[in-house]
Amino acid sequence: MTSETKSNLARLGLMIAVYLILAARIPSYYSQPGIAALLDSAVLAGIIAIGVGLTMIAGEMDLSVGSMAAFAGILSIQLFPYGMVPALVIVVLFCGLLGALQGYCIYKLNISSMVFTIGTLIALRGLTLVVSNEKTVLIPFENIAETDFLSAKFFVFSIPSATLLVLVLLVDFFSRRTLWGREIFAIGGGRGEARAAGVSIRRPIIVAFSISAALAGLAGALLSFRTGSASPLGFEAVLLEAVTACLIGGIALAGGRGSILGVLIGLFTIRFLVSGIAALGAPFWMQSLATGALLIFVIIAEAAIGYVTRRRRMARALTA
Amino acid sequence: MLRMSGIVKSYGPTRVLEDVDLAVEAGEVMALMGENGAGKSTLVKILAGIEPADGGTISIDGATVSIRSPGHAQAAGIGYVAQELSIVESLSVAENVFLGDETLGFFRSAASLARRAKPYLARVGLDHIDPLSLAEEHSVAERQLVEIARLLSRKARIAILDEPTAALSETEIVRVKAAVRTLAAEGCAIIYVTHRMPEVFDLTQKVTVLRNGKSFPAVETAGLSIGDLIEAMLGRQLGQMFPPRAAHAGEEILRLDACRASGLKAPVSLSLRRGEILALAGQVGSGAGAVLRMLAGVTPIQSGSVTLEGSAYAPSGIAGSIARKVLYCSDDRKRDGIFAVRSVPENLSAPALSAVSRFGLLSPALEGEHVTRIARQFGLGERFLGRLAGNLSGGNQQKVALGKWIGLDPKILLVEEPTRGVDVGARSEIYNNLRNLADEGLSIIFASSDTQEVLGLADRIASFFHGELVRICNADDVTAESLTRDVTRASEAA
Amino acid sequence: MTSQDASQRAKFTIPKTAYGLIAILVLLVVASVTTPSFARVDNIFVVIRAASLTGIVAIGMSYITISGNLFALSASALGALLAVLFALLTAAFGFAAGLVLTLGLAVFCGLAQSLAISLIGNPIITTLAFGTVFRGLAALFSGNSILRIESEAALWLGTARPLGIPTQSWAFIIAALLSWFVIRHFKIGREIVLCGANPKAAVASGLRVGLVTAIACAALSIGVAIMAIMTVSQFSQAKADLFMGYDFDYIAAVLVGGIALRGGKGTPLQAALGAVLIALLQNFMLLHGLSAGVRMTIVGLLVIASISLFHILQGRGR
Repeated sequence: MTSETKSNLARLGLMIAVYLILAARIPSYYSQPGIAALLDSAVLAGIIAIGVGLTMIAGEMDLSVGSMAAFAGILSIQLFPYGMVPALVIVVLFCGLLGALQGYCIYKLNISSMVFTIGTLIALRGLTLVVSNEKTVLIPFENIAETDFLSAKFFVFSIPSATLLVLVLLVDFFSRRTLWGREIFAIGGGRGEARAAGVSIRRPIIVAFSISAALAGLAGALLSFRTGSASPLGFEAVLLEAVTACLIGGIALAGGRGSILGVLIGLFTIRFLVSGIAALGAPFWMQSLATGALLIFVIIAEAAIGYVTRRRRMARALTA
Repeated sequence: MLRMSGIVKSYGPTRVLEDVDLAVEAGEVMALMGENGAGKSTLVKILAGIEPADGGTISIDGATVSIRSPGHAQAAGIGYVAQELSIVESLSVAENVFLGDETLGFFRSAASLARRAKPYLARVGLDHIDPLSLAEEHSVAERQLVEIARLLSRKARIAILDEPTAALSETEIVRVKAAVRTLAAEGCAIIYVTHRMPEVFDLTQKVTVLRNGKSFPAVETAGLSIGDLIEAMLGRQLGQMFPPRAAHAGEEILRLDACRASGLKAPVSLSLRRGEILALAGQVGSGAGAVLRMLAGVTPIQSGSVTLEGSAYAPSGIAGSIARKVLYCSDDRKRDGIFAVRSVPENLSAPALSAVSRFGLLSPALEGEHVTRIARQFGLGERFLGRLAGNLSGGNQQKVALGKWIGLDPKILLVEEPTRGVDVGARSEIYNNLRNLADEGLSIIFASSDTQEVLGLADRIASFFHGELVRICNADDVTAESLTRDVTRASEAA
Repeated sequence: MTSQDASQRAKFTIPKTAYGLIAILVLLVVASVTTPSFARVDNIFVVIRAASLTGIVAIGMSYITISGNLFALSASALGALLAVLFALLTAAFGFAAGLVLTLGLAVFCGLAQSLAISLIGNPIITTLAFGTVFRGLAALFSGNSILRIESEAALWLGTARPLGIPTQSWAFIIAALLSWFVIRHFKIGREIVLCGANPKAAVASGLRVGLVTAIACAALSIGVAIMAIMTVSQFSQAKADLFMGYDFDYIAAVLVGGIALRGGKGTPLQAALGAVLIALLQNFMLLHGLSAGVRMTIVGLLVIASISLFHILQGRGR
């Protein structure tokens, strides 16, 4: 068994342990509607985490996803009169294009993506306020029933939660089995080495940021359709949960390692925990406190494990 | 197959290559030899498309080609294995074989890549390793072989290998040599850059020697004697740039007893006297630099003991060695020798901030005095003091990197490659500076792969090959030829 | 080499602070020409007062950036936590004890973050996580309700105008000068700059990189504490959702001030100027009746433009 498989099993074990511990206290954790609600609660952060994860694998990080989702939410509600599917397609394509532009700038300027996306985070939030006229936008009352199907459940799945699972599988396939996906892994694992081997740096960066923005757009649009409204100030807290899901799911902060399937594991570890805390009656701010504490715990643990592994490898190299 | 003729290249006013000719036939391994600074790496980089040539022509199979980027070189069938490997550690071996190869189609599975990689890996003697395992699980030698497998997979017709064995053990070298023979047997023309005599005589059919940016006509290895080869490589005249040696050396200040550290394959014992300049001569991976890093506290002393001025010395980290006034300049000053975005005075006072401040406040008077003293000692004129260190020439940057230590009243100065990337004029100044410091009682150990520098500057010379100390002699008893034999292990090739 | 040396030398004769000053001057001229109410004395006060508290935190943030640690995303949440703690401590032990204890706790929070940053190596993610925890603790300690304080001293600190200038602005001016003096003339200031310029060379020169990160985090925390204390004093109340969303204002000030992202260049004065510049711009846009969204977009675009511009300028300088 490789060390990667081992660490993935450990993460899966953690997720199952969190589930079992909380399920013992919370009956809804093993009821059909309860599981459906858990799945639904994961859609927003989940879809966004896929894209953030991809940029992290490339050794970068897209911090602008929250603003992008809010922007897409407003835009999709405003385009609703032209039909839901066209609105969705236009919004996702447009966001993907913005992301590609962002990726191009980051490549061209050779700038830290964490810094650049803070800039776009502010600008996009402002743009969202402009586009929405600083008001929450709503689907017209007479059309409100048209989006109800997004909340309908088939067994435990709704259309949004099924979309999340399909997207995870799709992007996981993309990242594992295509040239473009492997390039993202290559530049994250060793940018200089990959460049020397003839890998283009531009394409994977643009692709990763484009997918990240398109998925953030999709998540914003889907969620806004489901609730029938979009606020220009929404989706601010989603970045934290998405990044936490990626890190718990085994995507390395330094890039090049991890998998999109792992992100799903990380996502549900958080969802089980946070929903459980809510179900046990803790106030809402306890949920983000728990997410933050979990994130600190995970990154410190990863740093410590990395340190020990390096020491051990060095010791092995010396005795050999 | 490959013919380069009349290649010319200058960096600024310095002419690195003037009129270089080189030709390799298919299936032939040609050694490219020459002293450090002779222009080997520049020539290789031109062929690989990393640097543009200023003049001359390159033709492949009789057709003139223009190589202006690594992409052009790849398209022309030229493969390059640099000293710094291009293996991504977090990817599998199979993926590394096909890294940067877009001809395999958009969709790819780990299993299909592994299947395709297998034959190439087998041909370089890696049939026993799992193509799906991560590159980081394998040794440096195996990664080197993966790079050669990559060349095979790309059907490279011309392969450039730049010192592929520098960091490898003897048994590993055997494997790399076998892989090179396979490559040649497939009809590939190979340019093999090396400093190691045994490999030259064992592996290559022809030798082209570069000296001072000029090429000698290629000669058959079979009809060549080591003496002839060494004579052709030497002959760079630098005699005038070195200061006279010390008249006498003081008492012993440092002693190493059977010390081992990372990068050393056998224990090293040495001693150093006050006011003495000791050279550790050796090529990349010889262990010369490893001794300095061990003394500087960068790598731990694994066994054996070091005595500094009569008491035990075992620095834990850089701060430990600085506290004992043993100060170290690495071979990469841009990385950790200078603060490129800060001014020269700020660089010069960086390690001595405590000495130039009072009650936590920097004293402009003390700092000015400190900086002026170093600047005068190292010949850094007034006009340089207002500049950012990163905007200085290589020679002046090196003076800054060395000079910043002087303010700490060092006992021992450890310098790795004291004049790498330094132009000829500044070299002579740096040699004089180091000699003056030694005359004032400072002891200096420097590691260098430059034969002339070792011979000209040192009082005593310890030669290293492949992680082992070969011998220690007084500089007067060493000639360029004997030193070159030691650091290339010519004795084994005979 | 020599001609290259000369051309690069010429490029560095204009200090980076000058860009900020020039921008402010241009903006002032344009503003007073096009908006009569802009140049009025009371409006100038409004601008400086608006810039003051943001500016104090931006000055602290500049220590993080100069020391080579990019940014902290936890400043606004720490502000809320310290505001709540200050209100609780003042209610329990009086104003003076509250002030001292809050500053002490601020330094403690800064040191905790610096330890984690040194261990993890990614300041942005580390502080993102810490920010959530701080915000959660603020809600926890306040019981998620509004805390009120009654203290004459606090009210003076929050609302007085010695020599006609608000206390917040006094604090801003003093903080700007003091922090500039520390960076310029203190040994630790020089160490901060050098560690930011090249951490590897700093280690090789025996400088204390861990200590530098700790000092930078502590400096930011103290700036945040001043903001929190003054805000609570001014309004005599504290709650857990104070300063929500302000983090980007602090970062914007640092970026617009032109402090090098790679660290090792720039001074806290630039962050202070950046804060004033943004406040001027905001005020100017407000007087022209631009909506909040348009204002935010323009500030965001200004940030992107200055990151790119300064990044390109500095990239050429290397």
